[in-house]
Amino acid sequence: MKLKAYILTRILLSIPMILIILTIVFFVLRVLPGNPILAMLGPKAPPEVVHAMEHQMGLDKPIIIQYLVYLSHIAVGNFGTSTYTSLPVLQELLQKFPATFELTLYSMVVAVLIGIFLGTYAAYNFGKTTDVFARVYSIFVYSFPVFWFGIMLQLVFGVWLHWLPVSGRSAPFMIPEHIYTGIYTIDALLNGNFEVFIDAVKHLILPAVTLGIVISSIFVRMVRSNVLLSLSSQYVTAARARGTTEKKVLFKHALKNAMPPILTIMGLQFALLLAGAILTETTFSWPGIGNYLITRISYRDFPAIQGAIVFFAFFVAVISILVDIINAWIDPRIRY
Amino acid sequence: MFSQKIGKNIKQLMGDSSGVMFLIGLVLLVMFILMAVFAPYIAPYSPIKPSGAQLLPPQSGHIMGTDNLGYDVFSRVIYGSRMAFSIAAIATVIAAAVGIPTGLIVGYVGGKLDSIVTMIMDSVYTFPGLILAIAIAAMLGQGLINISLSIAVVYIPTYYRVIRSQVVTIKSELYVEGAKAIGAKPKTILSKYVLPNVLPSTIVVLSMNIADAIMTEAGLSFLGLGIAPPTPDWGYDLSKGQQFILQNDWWLVVFPGLAIILIVLGFSMFSEGLNEYLNPNIGEKR
Repeated sequence: MKLKAYILTRILLSIPMILIILTIVFFVLRVLPGNPILAMLGPKAPPEVVHAMEHQMGLDKPIIIQYLVYLSHIAVGNFGTSTYTSLPVLQELLQKFPATFELTLYSMVVAVLIGIFLGTYAAYNFGKTTDVFARVYSIFVYSFPVFWFGIMLQLVFGVWLHWLPVSGRSAPFMIPEHIYTGIYTIDALLNGNFEVFIDAVKHLILPAVTLGIVISSIFVRMVRSNVLLSLSSQYVTAARARGTTEKKVLFKHALKNAMPPILTIMGLQFALLLAGAILTETTFSWPGIGNYLITRISYRDFPAIQGAIVFFAFFVAVISILVDIINAWIDPRIRY
Repeated sequence: MFSQKIGKNIKQLMGDSSGVMFLIGLVLLVMFILMAVFAPYIAPYSPIKPSGAQLLPPQSGHIMGTDNLGYDVFSRVIYGSRMAFSIAAIATVIAAAVGIPTGLIVGYVGGKLDSIVTMIMDSVYTFPGLILAIAIAAMLGQGLINISLSIAVVYIPTYYRVIRSQVVTIKSELYVEGAKAIGAKPKTILSKYVLPNVLPSTIVVLSMNIADAIMTEAGLSFLGLGIAPPTPDWGYDLSKGQQFILQNDWWLVVFPGLAIILIVLGFSMFSEGLNEYLNPNIGEKR
């Protein structure tokens, strides 16, 4: 199969997956007890106002019609209007998205760096101190609640040492003057404003390190076991027999061949990364979609809650497609 | 059956690192179970009544200090274990009670039903669990059963997948074919021949699952979607304690957090050891 054909098939295959999640979200938010109108207007709202509101939001129609309307709206990118701000939900989500993307991107970088280096060295030094350290590290860090770890870092680096800010994305008046991508570290560099860049990095360090370290526990395990596997293979023995340097054996032969399964697992962990991002954003008052979701839950802003969850579903689907495509590109066997 | 097997081979178990891990996990778990059961005898004060001045740092009489309402932090940490255990237990039982039979039946029947149910379960499985739990919890509202339900839904696919994949392998085994040949009913085959063979791996999943459920519960209550205050709950106490870290009241966040870490550590080390013992050929699962 050509790569293009593979990509197309992969995208088509993900449509039912997205449809199932959309359906579950719809039924969770519409069918479960809890009347959104009463929740918005309060239990003492006069019945005629409630009816008028129900009619306006289409909640008086049969559930199947509501479901089809919901799907057709999402298909054209209509996520509804926030009952809290009266702004289109999609517009709000797109405005919050770069913050979440920036946080998850840098967290992933932290997690991948720790995972690859610690995992590879642990596998290479199987049974020795580095290996024991890596195993203990991954077991311990796996049991850290991400919000607790975040608070601890805030305490140490923010409150005790005063090195880094403990919340938000930027200091007042430190927002990049021209927004291109919405990712502050990149925009600041594009603007050539080094002061804003430093400020953005300072705000980013604690949340990204928090989430990155917590996620890295799984990466360390996975890299370690996959590199162990490829170190015992014949091509590694052959490379060593040819007199290849150990460093080259480790990174060029063992790690490179261990990469496809590692990539797949990293892609799967993306869901965990997003869940962690919600908690991290709340811990650090990071103005992303997770923070938006939690705030809007407290305002009972149902279109916003639904929109944020649907947005997450699409985000997960896009990332898993991308991971599969990258894998197919690296390893042609997957395409056939 | 398993305790017997484990007792017999305790020497072998101590031989490698997974055995040591298993024992550490076991000790941690026993400690937390005792803590939850005997909470009223261990805790020096009521967890929901002021017991001294507000925001006292750790000192004699209040070894973990007091919070902004004058509640004793140590007593709240002790009682918090009850909430963690009950929610994790209810959620895990519900998830297993739905996931295991579904996996058994669907895996055995196979065909179209199998592909449809598996696709639904896989979609839920790949979706971030916490986000789904947040959505359900936000709709159902606070409360023990509601939170347990929101967490349970997330973990149903875990059981379904493990059971189904094993049933698919086992149903083509000779002894199952044989049972079919002598005219055993599907119900008998499933309960007598298939279920006993898939249970060992389920026990490991169950115990790993409790660790995850405790973590998810802590997350939900940290986000304000858990149990209604003032019921002692580690996640809720952490989110409340965070408001006071700028004034350096570290004891409000350090101790509830350590409790979560130790209980999750206990369950994961226990299940890891159990896994290597019961399914030595499966190896790394996560």
